[in-house]
Amino acid sequence: MARDYMKPRRRFFHKEKQLNRSKAGNTTLFVLMAICGVFMVMPLVLIFNNALKPLDELFIYPPRIFVRNPSITNFSDLFVLMSGSWVPFSRYIFNTLIITGVGTVGHVIFASLAAYPLAKNDFPGKKFLFGMVVLSLMFSYNVTAIPNYMIISWLGINNTYLAVILPAFSYGLGLYLMKQFIEQLPDSLMESARLDGASEYKTFWSIIMPNVKPAWLTLAIFQFQTLWGNTGTSFLRSEQLKPLQYALQQIVAGGAARAGASAAVQFIIAAIPITFFIVCQSNVIETMTTSGMKE
Amino acid sequence: MKSKKLTLMQKRALTGLIFISPWLVGFIVFYLVSLIKTIQFSLCKVSVADTGGYALAFKGLSNFKYALFQDADFNQILVNSVIGMLVDMPLIIFFSLFMAILLNQKFKGRTIVRAIFFIPVIMNAGAINDALELARQLIAGGLSAVASDAGTSSSGVNVYFLFDTFSELGIPRGLIDYIIGAVSRSYDIVRASGVQIIIFLAALQSVPGSLYEVSKIEGATAYETFWKVTFPMVTPLILTNVVYTIVDSFVTSDVVDMAYKVAITDHKYGISSAMSLLSTGVVSIVLIIVGILVSRKTFYYN
Repeated sequence: MARDYMKPRRRFFHKEKQLNRSKAGNTTLFVLMAICGVFMVMPLVLIFNNALKPLDELFIYPPRIFVRNPSITNFSDLFVLMSGSWVPFSRYIFNTLIITGVGTVGHVIFASLAAYPLAKNDFPGKKFLFGMVVLSLMFSYNVTAIPNYMIISWLGINNTYLAVILPAFSYGLGLYLMKQFIEQLPDSLMESARLDGASEYKTFWSIIMPNVKPAWLTLAIFQFQTLWGNTGTSFLRSEQLKPLQYALQQIVAGGAARAGASAAVQFIIAAIPITFFIVCQSNVIETMTTSGMKE
Repeated sequence: MKSKKLTLMQKRALTGLIFISPWLVGFIVFYLVSLIKTIQFSLCKVSVADTGGYALAFKGLSNFKYALFQDADFNQILVNSVIGMLVDMPLIIFFSLFMAILLNQKFKGRTIVRAIFFIPVIMNAGAINDALELARQLIAGGLSAVASDAGTSSSGVNVYFLFDTFSELGIPRGLIDYIIGAVSRSYDIVRASGVQIIIFLAALQSVPGSLYEVSKIEGATAYETFWKVTFPMVTPLILTNVVYTIVDSFVTSDVVDMAYKVAITDHKYGISSAMSLLSTGVVSIVLIIVGILVSRKTFYYN
C-alpha cells in the first residue's frame, strides 16, 4: 500500500525536485555545457571527418569541416602503406599491446599496493616519502631525460620493453591519487575486516580495492593514455620493438603526400584512448553508491 | 600485554613495508636517482668527455648565480609562469568541480558527454598534435603559403577589428586587453581541466550513497545537500586537484621549456639543471603555502 502511494509521488518529483533549479537555470547550465562541449569536441569532429574525406576533399579550398562524399579510401591507403613496411605491422601492434597493457596493469597494482600503507598505516619517514613523491611529479620528463637515460643503460635494460614499462610502474602520480582516495575510506571498514580475521593482503584485495574502484579505473585511464602516446624513441632502438604510435607518426611525417593515410592515422590514434575511456567510465557508474557501510 | 600489542603493530608496519617495497624500489631507481643526479649536475660544469661519457668539474653555486643574475630571461619567465599558474588554478578548480557535478548527474548518454570533456587530454598526445598541425596546414590552403595568408584574412569576423572599434569609441585599452586575455584564457582553462574533472568525478562517485539517503530523509534541499554532504566529502580531493593543477601547469610551463632548451640546444647541462631546481623550489614553496591554506578547510571523514 505504502509503495503504491510512494511510486507516483516519487516520479512526479523526479523531474522538478532533483536539482532544485528553475527552468531558466537549467537552460543556462545546458547552454554553458554545450558551449564548452563544442569547444572540446571540435578537433575530434574534424579528425573524424578528415578520415572519411577522399583526397580531393582534403585539399579543397575553402576548406570544409564536414565530409561530402564519405569514403574509406584513406583506410585502404593506410593498409597498403602498412603492408609495405619493413617490420610486419602486427609487430607494432603487439609491442603497443605489451607496453600499454603491462604498464597500465602494473602501475595500477603497484601504486595501489603502496598507497594503502601510506594512507592507513603509520611508519617512520612516511611524510618524507610522500613529499618526495610530490616533488618527483614536478620534474618534467624533458628535464631529467639525460639522467634517466643513464639509469636505464646502467641497468642494462636499454633497448628492451622494460626500459619503458619499469619507469611507468613507479610513476608518482598513481601513488598520489590512490593515497588520496584510500585515505577517505573510513577506518571502521578495515577494522571490521581485521576483526573478522582477514589478513592485510585479503583486506587490500577484497575491501580496499573494490571500494576505490572509481579511483583505480581513473588511474588506468591516465596511464593508458600516457603509454599509448609513448613513442619510446629514446630507449627502443630496434625497429622490432617500436610501438604502434611510432609507426603511425612516421606515416604522418610523410606530410601532404600522405595526407589521406595520415588522416586515417589521426582517427586511430584518437579513437582507441576514447574507447578505453568510455569502457572504464561506464564500469564506474553506480558501483559506489551501494557500497556496504552501515554506521 | 604491552609487548604483544607492539608486535602486532610491528607486524602491521612490516606488511605495510612489503606492500610499498615493489613500488619504492622502482621509485628510487628511476626517479630519486635522476633527481639526485640533477642536483649533482647543477653544482658542476658538465662536459662531454673525449673518451665517451661525461666529465664533471665542481663549480659550487655559480650555475645558480648565472641563472638568477646573469641570464636575461630566466627571472622574468619564472615569475610569469608562477603568476599564470596562480591565476589559472582557482578557475580550473571551480570549473572542473562544477563540471564534475553536472556530469555526475543522471542523464542519457552521460558517458559520451564525459568522454567529450576528456578529449583535450587525449588530444595532447604527440602524434595527434603533429597530425592536427598537418590538418591545419591543409585547411589553411594546401601546399601554398600564399593561400594560407589569404585564409586568415577571409575568415569571417575579425575580432581585432571589433576591439579596435571599441577602443576608438573610448573604452580604455587596458579593459579590452583584459577581456581578450580572459576570453583566450578561458579556452585554456577548459582544456586544462580534463583530468581534474575525472578526479572529481571519481571523488563524487566515492561518496557513500547512505549519506544522500539520510539527507533526503531529513528533508534537506539540494542546495543544503551540496554544501553539507557533497562538498565536505570532496574537499580532500580539492587539495589533490590543486596539487595536480599546479604540477601540471608547471611541467608544461615556459620555465621548463627554457630549461630543456638550455640543455638540449645549448648543451649547458649544469645551468639547465640549476634552472629546473630553482623553479622546482619556487613551485614547491607555492605548493606548500597553498596546501596549508587548503588543508585547513579540508574535512576528513574519519
